[in-house]
Amino acid sequence: MRLGQRPAYQTFLLYLALVLVTLFFLLPLLWILRTSLITKAQAYQIPPNFHVQLTLENYIEVLTTNKFARYYLNSAIVSLSATVLSVVFGAMSSYWLSRQPGNMTGAKLAILATQMIPPIVLVIPINTLIRSVGLNDSWMALVLAYLTFNLPYVIWMLLGFYDNVPRELDEASAIDGCSTMQTFFKVVFPLIAPGMMATAVYSFLVSWNEFVFALVLSGNATRTIPVAIAALETQHGVKIAELCASTMLAILPIVILSSFIKKYLVNGLTFGSIK
Amino acid sequence: MATVQLKNIKKIYPHSESKQKKGLFGKKKDEEPEKKHNLQITAEGTVAVQQFSLDIADKEFIVLVGPSGCGKSTTLRMIAGLDTITEGELYIDGRLVNDVPPKGRDIAMVFQNYALYPHMSVYDNMAFALKLRKMPKAEIDRKVREAAEILDITEYLDRKPKALSGGQRQRVAIGRAIVREPQVFLMDEPLSNLDAKLRNQMRSEILKLRQRIDTTFIYVTHDQTEAMTLGDRIVIMRDGFIQQIGTPHEVYNHPHNLFVAGFIGTPQMNFFQTRLECENGEFYVPLYGTRFELNEKQKQMIKERGIEPQEITLGIRPEHVSLCKEGGVEAEVDVSEMMGSSVHLHCSVQGEEVVVIVSGLELGEEHASGFSHGEKVRLHFDSNVLHLFGADEVNLL
Ligand SMILES: Nc1ncnc2c1ncn2[C@@H]1O[C@H](COP(=O)(O)OP(=O)(O)OP(=O)(O)O)[C@@H](O)[C@H]1O
Ligand SMILES: [Mg+2]
Repeated sequence: MRLGQRPAYQTFLLYLALVLVTLFFLLPLLWILRTSLITKAQAYQIPPNFHVQLTLENYIEVLTTNKFARYYLNSAIVSLSATVLSVVFGAMSSYWLSRQPGNMTGAKLAILATQMIPPIVLVIPINTLIRSVGLNDSWMALVLAYLTFNLPYVIWMLLGFYDNVPRELDEASAIDGCSTMQTFFKVVFPLIAPGMMATAVYSFLVSWNEFVFALVLSGNATRTIPVAIAALETQHGVKIAELCASTMLAILPIVILSSFIKKYLVNGLTFGSIK
Repeated sequence: MATVQLKNIKKIYPHSESKQKKGLFGKKKDEEPEKKHNLQITAEGTVAVQQFSLDIADKEFIVLVGPSGCGKSTTLRMIAGLDTITEGELYIDGRLVNDVPPKGRDIAMVFQNYALYPHMSVYDNMAFALKLRKMPKAEIDRKVREAAEILDITEYLDRKPKALSGGQRQRVAIGRAIVREPQVFLMDEPLSNLDAKLRNQMRSEILKLRQRIDTTFIYVTHDQTEAMTLGDRIVIMRDGFIQQIGTPHEVYNHPHNLFVAGFIGTPQMNFFQTRLECENGEFYVPLYGTRFELNEKQKQMIKERGIEPQEITLGIRPEHVSLCKEGGVEAEVDVSEMMGSSVHLHCSVQGEEVVVIVSGLELGEEHASGFSHGEKVRLHFDSNVLHLFGADEVNLL
């Protein structure tokens, strides 16, 4: 039965339920948005005052005095590098894995097994490692750390996409005169590009949101946004207005990326190559 | 345009990982397929093809045929360079190519499931190989349009493969191969995904194509009609071994063994367990109380080869059994299949099934629409076209 054919009251109840569920998830976010747009004094008022003047002063303060722009840049550099590296290396190893004659169960399970280790267990060893090679307080330290848990995930995710590309296509292109590289770039890559995009976005989100490693491995110069936001919870109390403003700023790229990932995932992998 | 020589080719697929380690993670799925066939399994793995020797002449049309899993695709893939050759030598145009990658062999291949590049238009699919060879644009264009013309797909050149029907996709796949003007043309069951009518049509188009592009063809099929109609020579395979190589006429009229006799020809050849007897130096075969005298040629061959009286399997093709008014063997009709120009009668003779092809001309008024179940008929077997197979299933004559 199509939506349009429901009796009116049913449609109404359905929408009501949807609105309630959406509000349940959105309210905290909306509250953060509100808090970020009012003055500090008003932000602390309890009970909250709803007749307030909207202002951008928190955003301006966060971006200027709190060096938030700098943290933004750090986060962007670290997340982008980790994403690019993990997708490039992941794409290659995953392609190789999916094109092996056997089913490579052992190797695949080994890759999956790395995802079963809680990342927090690795914080201390990786920290020691990074310090011993003198990389502490550098972007590279974070990029390497993120690679260790992004890469297996990226490989695993891409495997699914590669397995959807029939091997006959590789074989046909080999016969047509492609080298392995040409086969990959001219035939396989265009087909898994949407999948790769989705994987990249995912990898970016994970890196962008990462907190524990960033807290331990980053210094003043390399602090990333999640750490910077946490730092607004000071000994003298929570700087709630600034905190909300920086949270909104941190969310912004994710919102943009999420609309991307949707487009690519919906595009899907339905092609008419076989049969 | 090239000769292809296969010398004692062998292919062993190594045991899969899970089989080797009786694995923790081994799935049941892997173990099943090996049970299905009677392929030889050695310590190194499953022997998919062995003792495969064949000289293919320039411009010859060779058909590899056999039941599922007999190693046809494996053989073709070894020629294409998609699978490694475990043992033996492969020459294309006199050059040893065992270790040459596919792109260096100057071959083209049409896959069973077409394997068109889904993200490219029909035009680009066909031009792909030529672009890789850095051919001038104008020449690529000319060749693609020419091939499209031959295959009647000019109007679809801008479409993506997913917007084509199965038959059209198959044409594109063939087009992609012919623009290359390869030395050897390989086809792995190219028609098996098409419906019956389209298959017949494409079959005759492949015949026409063959006259136009005049190159060496190696064609894999499990359909013996395709094999008989297309092949200059047919290679019949079973469980990794070649059973017989010969022209369609040869394999039909002189099947080398029981398997070939049963595989080639529809309906299947009738087989009877009986004996080759000798009385006063005259050989004959008893069947259902009648006595098949052998003809002079057969008698002479028996003498030449010093064949003794023995248990044999007697084979007679359905078209060599006919109905007669009197004499012959009495039979009861089980099923009568009206085929249009003829009727296939499945009769039982003393509990055994015998298939007879009765042509429309012989039917007469009363049986114009076939026979009814349980009707009594008399069968006459033509003793000039007997096939005698010894205990080892090999044709005696
Ligand atoms: N990669 C592989 N690993 C192990 N065994 C294989 C592999 N590929 C094929 N085989 C086995 O080799 C045998 C021959 O396979 P092949 O594909 O050549 O058969 P075929 O004659 O083409 O059959 P079909 O008509 O079904 O296509 C089969 O028994 C198959 O199980
Ligand atoms: Mg096959």
